Amino acid sequence: MSEAPKTDHAYDGIEEYDNPLPGWWKWLFIATIVFAPFYWVYYHGGAEGRSVEDQFGIALAENTRLQFAEIGDLQPDTATVAKFMGKDSWVKVGKSVFRANCISCHGREGEGKVGPNLTDDSYKNVKTLGDIAKVINNGAGNGAMPKWSHRLHVNEVVMVSAFVASLRGTNAEGGRPPEGNKIAAWPEPPPEEEVEDEKEKS
Amino acid sequence: MEATIDSSTSSAQDSLEPDQFSYDDKIVRLFVTATILWALVATLVGLVVALLLVMPSLSGGLPYISFGRLRPLHTNAAIFAFAGNAIFAAVYYSTQRLCKARMWSDTLSQLHFWGWQLIIVAAAITLPLGITQSREYAELEWPIDILIAVVWLFIFGGNFLMTLIHRRERHMYVALWFYIATIVTVALLHVFNNLVIPAGWFKGYSVYAGVQDAFMQWWYGHNAVAFFLTTPFLGLMYYFLPKAAERPVFSYRLSIIHFWSLVFIYIWAGPHHLHYTALPEWACSLGMLFSLMLWMPSWGGMINGLLTLRGAWHKVAADPVLKFFVVGITFYGMSTFEGPMLSIKAVNALSHYTDWTIAHVHSGALGWNGFMAFGMIYWLLPVLYQTKLWSKKLMSLHFWTGTIGILLYIIPIYAAGLMQGLMWRAMDDTGHLVYPEFIETIQSVVPLWWLRVVGGTLYVSGVVMLAFNAFMTWTTRPAVYDIPVYTAPRLSKDYPDEPATESDLKDVPMLEAGKKLSVLGKMNWHRRWERLPVKFTVLTTAAVLVATLFELVPTFLIRSNVPTIATVTPYTPLELAGRHIYVSEGCYNCHSQMIRPIVAETKRYGEYSKPGEFIYDRPFQWGSRRIGPDLAREGGKQSSFWHWRHFENPTDVSPGSVMPSYQHLLDDDLKFNAIAPHVRAAAFLGAEYSEEELNNTEAVARKQSEVIAAEIVAQGGPAAMYDKQAIALIAYLQRVGTDLFKTPEPAAKTPADSPGDGEAAAADSEAGTTGNEATEDAQ
Repeated sequence: MSEAPKTDHAYDGIEEYDNPLPGWWKWLFIATIVFAPFYWVYYHGGAEGRSVEDQFGIALAENTRLQFAEIGDLQPDTATVAKFMGKDSWVKVGKSVFRANCISCHGREGEGKVGPNLTDDSYKNVKTLGDIAKVINNGAGNGAMPKWSHRLHVNEVVMVSAFVASLRGTNAEGGRPPEGNKIAAWPEPPPEEEVEDEKEKS
Repeated sequence: MEATIDSSTSSAQDSLEPDQFSYDDKIVRLFVTATILWALVATLVGLVVALLLVMPSLSGGLPYISFGRLRPLHTNAAIFAFAGNAIFAAVYYSTQRLCKARMWSDTLSQLHFWGWQLIIVAAAITLPLGITQSREYAELEWPIDILIAVVWLFIFGGNFLMTLIHRRERHMYVALWFYIATIVTVALLHVFNNLVIPAGWFKGYSVYAGVQDAFMQWWYGHNAVAFFLTTPFLGLMYYFLPKAAERPVFSYRLSIIHFWSLVFIYIWAGPHHLHYTALPEWACSLGMLFSLMLWMPSWGGMINGLLTLRGAWHKVAADPVLKFFVVGITFYGMSTFEGPMLSIKAVNALSHYTDWTIAHVHSGALGWNGFMAFGMIYWLLPVLYQTKLWSKKLMSLHFWTGTIGILLYIIPIYAAGLMQGLMWRAMDDTGHLVYPEFIETIQSVVPLWWLRVVGGTLYVSGVVMLAFNAFMTWTTRPAVYDIPVYTAPRLSKDYPDEPATESDLKDVPMLEAGKKLSVLGKMNWHRRWERLPVKFTVLTTAAVLVATLFELVPTFLIRSNVPTIATVTPYTPLELAGRHIYVSEGCYNCHSQMIRPIVAETKRYGEYSKPGEFIYDRPFQWGSRRIGPDLAREGGKQSSFWHWRHFENPTDVSPGSVMPSYQHLLDDDLKFNAIAPHVRAAAFLGAEYSEEELNNTEAVARKQSEVIAAEIVAQGGPAAMYDKQAIALIAYLQRVGTDLFKTPEPAAKTPADSPGDGEAAAADSEAGTTGNEATEDAQ
């Protein structure tokens, strides 16, 4: 490699060459500088849909569509919960919500930890399927069960209620002893066609 | 031991008579010894915290050695004790030689050394006691901060600048430029990031709140990396590498360009630590763009280092000192490529809050800082102790052990970061989280954390080899050190400027401007600056300040950066006390409080965080790593009794948790009478408190603690716990992130307008953005 001349500098015996800036170095540096105004104009030029907030809104809408487009916004009542109890794919959604939010108190299998056992036949604040959704939405037991209405989508409340209802009778091992009162069995989920009809009507 | 030689023959004299002088190597020996000792401490504590992550019960419930308190000790020891003393050793050794002058004042040198060690010891005592500001790498409380400012700026900086002024070498070498930038900028960062209102000797409240506090902290945090771990080590490299390799530096011009671009651009990059947070987006974009521009200026240093070794690679093969330098510089190149890459928002969305960041900083700290310091020490030992290094073989073994240690540390941690980041965002085709349980994502990286323990152990054992080798070398020192006396003339006052440079293109027919440009490229203008240390210092300060003000002024002045939310109110006295416990225990080391507007994240934690939610947060608690889940919406998410059980034994309620037990919070009484100063400090800084809260703080706090204690009893918990520390912490946790969802005070509206319960619940479920707008309307 050919060597540029040395400068006449010497510091404690350290000398310096007068090599020019490497070309690739110089041009990459310039490129990173030139890139900046283009990026700025693109993202901060005022065009809609490019800000982080806009992007989030779009992604959130897309996600909600993906989850709930076919069912719309549900009513968290007994009939609706009963309807979705019979739909395995939706109960699975409820299970995912349950695992994200509920297992720290109710246990992985619903066996109960700080919160009551959900796998036996006894319930403290629930008499009907709709009551499950009500307890989830509003909380219970002096805040022992927090209120979830502003954390979960109303459909998520329905799905997780359906999942919790489906836990009944699984009598998970090592669970908390039964608390509250034995209540009547859940109503049978309505037959499939009926559900489809109702959806079309609405 | 050392015969002193009067260096200042006569200060009033202004002649070109040669002076006789010697160098103060005693101070260098002190700093080298301290570097080695603190390297042992820093890496050992690092190993301990790595072990605490895989075996949380190891602390035995002793609060002083829990992860949250020890992790800041590890980072502070590594940065300020180990790297700090290494910097000082380098500065004191090289500056004297580059200036042909003894340090201006031996007394100041000694004060610097002992003052700095005192600071470190104070840190090592206060951090485990939970006395902390909770701002990363600026954890130390205000009395220690004042000591740092004095020792750094006046004692070290003063001594250094006076040495420059009294130098006998006309021009300042590039290493000195980097030292100047270091001293000036670190002082600036330290002072402005640590402005607090004291609430007693051991606690200060930041004058900045929330978004602005976060901005200032990462302006500081990022540039602590820049001006404490980068520029002084580049100075170190510029002196010790050509010395050890006995080769000229590759390019003088590259030195100039990369020095100034590095100093000017680095300062802007801080906001890239806060991508997707509540920091305004324009600031993040600036941070990202300047980080990208920083890539080449950083690599300028790497090129100048590695290309200096051209024609000397045979020496590298034979000399472990050069091997340390080559690996160190290579890691510098890697991490300064990775830095700009991580600053790209899309990449950062994945990497932020994961171990990726941890791997990144350790490739820098273990590779660049560690190995450059080790190379320097091994080169210095025989020089300082005027003997042969005790064992070259052991030095070589240290090199290989250390290198393998670094790789075994960073590779698993990169994998862990990538894995956890991908698991957090994974969604199935129905739009749901694939790994809804946070614990799952931690459990999957624990085996990789074990590998890190192995890598860390190797690295620590390398440091032990260094310490042993240094000790044995010391034992073979001569009875009396030889102190060479040098002779050099003082600088005359009048130095003729170089004759105006002529363009090589003088006779070429072309535009005059082009010729001027070619003259400029010869850098003679800079040569002039190198003769003027005070002007050089002023120019460096100006470069740093201008860049700072461009970002800082808008952040503080533009009101729309932090839109007000009417329902956000100050913390109650008890919550403030709880927040103080949260800070002291170092909860921020594992838990973030900042939900980013990313769907996978809002699904997991709830509505994303808004800037207006943090106006009473002093300091901010956004965190930088999620070893546990985000807590920004923790309020009301669990029952108070759940928290109680969780502090008692986290694995009881979340099996597989790596959080240690906080039993002492359940046992220890809360000092209700100590809450008042906190409330007064918050009130002084603008939080609205009632007369009752200010004058009768204790009673107000007790009242709320009884409510929480009663809640816990009603939920099935133990009775009569109202005076325990955990109650305050629970009060705080139940408050975090809930203000956004409160219905605005009815005072602003007529009763008829106030929404019914059903409507309120519906509005609640939509939350966030709508809640935000509604409250803005209400104002």
